[in-house]
Amino acid sequence: MKAKKGELKVITGNSAAAYGAMLCRPDVVASYPITPQTEVVEQLSKFHADGVLEAEMIEVEGENSAMNAVAAATLAGGRAFTATSSWGLVYMYDAVLQAAGFRAPVVMANVNRETPGILAVSSGQQDMIQTRDAGWIQVIVENSQEILDTIIMAFRLAEDYDIQLPVMVNYDGFYISYLAEGVRIPAKDDVDQFLAVLKTQPKRTIMDPTHPIGAGSHGLMTEFMELRYKHCAALDRAKKKFDEIDKDYGDFFGRSYGGQIEEYRTEDADFVILTSGSAVGTSRTVVDAKRAEGVKVGLIKLRMFRPFPQEKLIKAIKGKKAVGVIDRSVNFGWNSGPIYTELRALYPEIGPMPILSFIDGLASIDITKPHIERVIDDVANAAKGKPYQAVTWIPLEERE
Amino acid sequence: MVEKVRKLPKTFQYFKDEDAFAGGVAFCAGCPLELTLRVLSKVMGRQTVIVGTPSCSAPVLYGQNVGAWHKLPYYSCLMTGVASSATGLTRYYKKAGQDVNVVCFTGDGCAADIGFQTLSGAAERNENFIYVCYENEGYMNTGIQRSSTTPIGATTSTTPVGVAGRGKNTQAKNLPLIMAMHNIPYTATATLSHMDDLAKKMQKAMEKKKEGLVYLHIFCPCPVGWGIESDMSIQVCREAVKTNYFPLWEAENGKFKLTQTVSSPDPITKYTKMFKKFNHLTEKELAVIQAEVDHNFAFLKHLTEFGAHGQPAESPENNA
Amino acid sequence: MAIKKFSSKYEAAWSDANQQLLCLDTGTWRTKRPVVNVEKCTYCGLCAIYCPPQCMKIMPDHFEPDLNFCKGCGVCAKECLRGAITMMPEGDFDNEGKKG
Repeated sequence: MKAKKGELKVITGNSAAAYGAMLCRPDVVASYPITPQTEVVEQLSKFHADGVLEAEMIEVEGENSAMNAVAAATLAGGRAFTATSSWGLVYMYDAVLQAAGFRAPVVMANVNRETPGILAVSSGQQDMIQTRDAGWIQVIVENSQEILDTIIMAFRLAEDYDIQLPVMVNYDGFYISYLAEGVRIPAKDDVDQFLAVLKTQPKRTIMDPTHPIGAGSHGLMTEFMELRYKHCAALDRAKKKFDEIDKDYGDFFGRSYGGQIEEYRTEDADFVILTSGSAVGTSRTVVDAKRAEGVKVGLIKLRMFRPFPQEKLIKAIKGKKAVGVIDRSVNFGWNSGPIYTELRALYPEIGPMPILSFIDGLASIDITKPHIERVIDDVANAAKGKPYQAVTWIPLEERE
Repeated sequence: MVEKVRKLPKTFQYFKDEDAFAGGVAFCAGCPLELTLRVLSKVMGRQTVIVGTPSCSAPVLYGQNVGAWHKLPYYSCLMTGVASSATGLTRYYKKAGQDVNVVCFTGDGCAADIGFQTLSGAAERNENFIYVCYENEGYMNTGIQRSSTTPIGATTSTTPVGVAGRGKNTQAKNLPLIMAMHNIPYTATATLSHMDDLAKKMQKAMEKKKEGLVYLHIFCPCPVGWGIESDMSIQVCREAVKTNYFPLWEAENGKFKLTQTVSSPDPITKYTKMFKKFNHLTEKELAVIQAEVDHNFAFLKHLTEFGAHGQPAESPENNA
Repeated sequence: MAIKKFSSKYEAAWSDANQQLLCLDTGTWRTKRPVVNVEKCTYCGLCAIYCPPQCMKIMPDHFEPDLNFCKGCGVCAKECLRGAITMMPEGDFDNEGKKG
């Protein structure tokens, strides 16, 4: 069975996030405005005022309360959504950790913006990187349509009985958050049907007020360790589950994104470049152009950052001659990009090959076509066995 | 032998339910906090979800692995997230059509300091839950540090007395008044020596929470932290009321009312000499405390002269 | 080696009092024991109302501490207006430190 085509609307990325959330009929929405996420809150409030969204709307006094409220609401048995960015994500950090530890199936849109120390109201994935060890599922998306679709998929993933984990859907602030483009809005009843499978699953443990149940018991000794193990195991299961949900979504709505990673012209590629978020679109164009010149380059789009899609990446990269990673953030203490360092951990499995780190796009610096051409040229040379620079801060080197 | 009347006193009528707590739980001997919690469970009954936080009450409110120390549903929070988590629970139960008493139960450190923002936010949004603060004037669980409700002059492990130190050098934050100023439907102070008053206010809280946020501020001296003999805790509560140090009042829809009047208040020294935390104070320093008590009480008295929200003041001279 | 079994059925840190209600032998903490003089008791109930662990048992003509849980704080004795409760050293009893 296929879903209806859905209405085509020209909306921003933020609006797409709000549509995605609204279509899933959350019971509770709590969020606090922050640039560049604010429009998500506004749009959800508008949906509520118009009677399209029948949720309890909590206009909290800060992000910390937003996360605590939605986490508690999910553990009480509800579906809950919030959105934030940058320092807002930092301000809710204790609650972010708690939501994961409590296995609260919250869905949150995080509109990527620069974070630590240097104040910058500009794009960058550093906020997401700060929370990579929080125990959440973290997904990075590329455009408005993918935001909407992924938020719907995120609810199915978060609330799945085998998963029960919070999901953070990341998209580049400014680039995607404010960019208006055509987006298919699925029909509400089709979204209901897509999520209906959750109702057929066993009931997860909730804060049933008629039962002497407690959330957040002290885990002692091996029982504590057991909970950590279960959390890690659930994250592991989320990888395959995400692929399955993506396939289901594609079968039903006609759009799918490859699950954990998307491979573009990798099959016969000599070498590949790996990136995420809004930079992927530009990279595709450059890869096409280089292919036309006869350069056998492929592209991997990283969609799932936590859990890290090791198996998929090994399969996609093994046998290639080199790989270059473009990061829109840094890994403090490694002087390189974080996705790059994660990939380095797969070195034994992918086999000996040059792995190059490119840092670009911090603080809303455009990751331009020339930048990506340079990445491809550098990786191509490394693939030919020429000496290469391990880490390149592209905009600083390209500066006149 | 005189024939005795074997009828239970009326206080017992407030105890509608069984004590929800196990017989033996890890509170110090004589701890008024233990009594507060047990009474709360008896008065409010089982359809009560406790939202707690790391504090003296946490080792009892929170379970260990799958075991629990009591039969109330509970949600354990970080100190920053009590009122906001309660908001999430309350809103979901509301959406699901379930009538539940969501009760936050924290110390003054959480309520007045680190958790104050979320409490204030929830009060402004007028969320339908009850926030109970047990006031022991500091961080007792971590080893007696000062909080913003620690009174001036009190010695704590972070305001010790020495050559230069004279205990805490600033006044306490008047949290119940601050909460009442949020225009919530019900704010009240209570303490354990006046058990009927306390139980009545807990009952009222369950009714008033249907209108919005209810804040109960319960005076709970800490035998260990204040240097009180374990059998003296109720006596200290009583003396706090008798000196007007901790007046018992309620504010219902903006109407302030003293629920216990003290005809001739005792001097504050009768209270301060009962335990160690004020032992070092000179007469002059004690006079500062007395002046503060007098000021706070006069201020409160003045507030009782006003009518509820939407009503004019009762005496014309206050209409200036 | 694989993990053979889990001790909890829960995915997260849930507790359930119906599965296990924890309890401490707080009676063993006691250094003094409240002894009630039944003759003096007027059944005012103050000892039971103020008892922090709420372990005063309601008897037909007086109140009696549950020595399983009484921590010996002495609040009952202090609050009794008739002086009907005396705190006696635990060592004076044959079943010293034991349950009632």
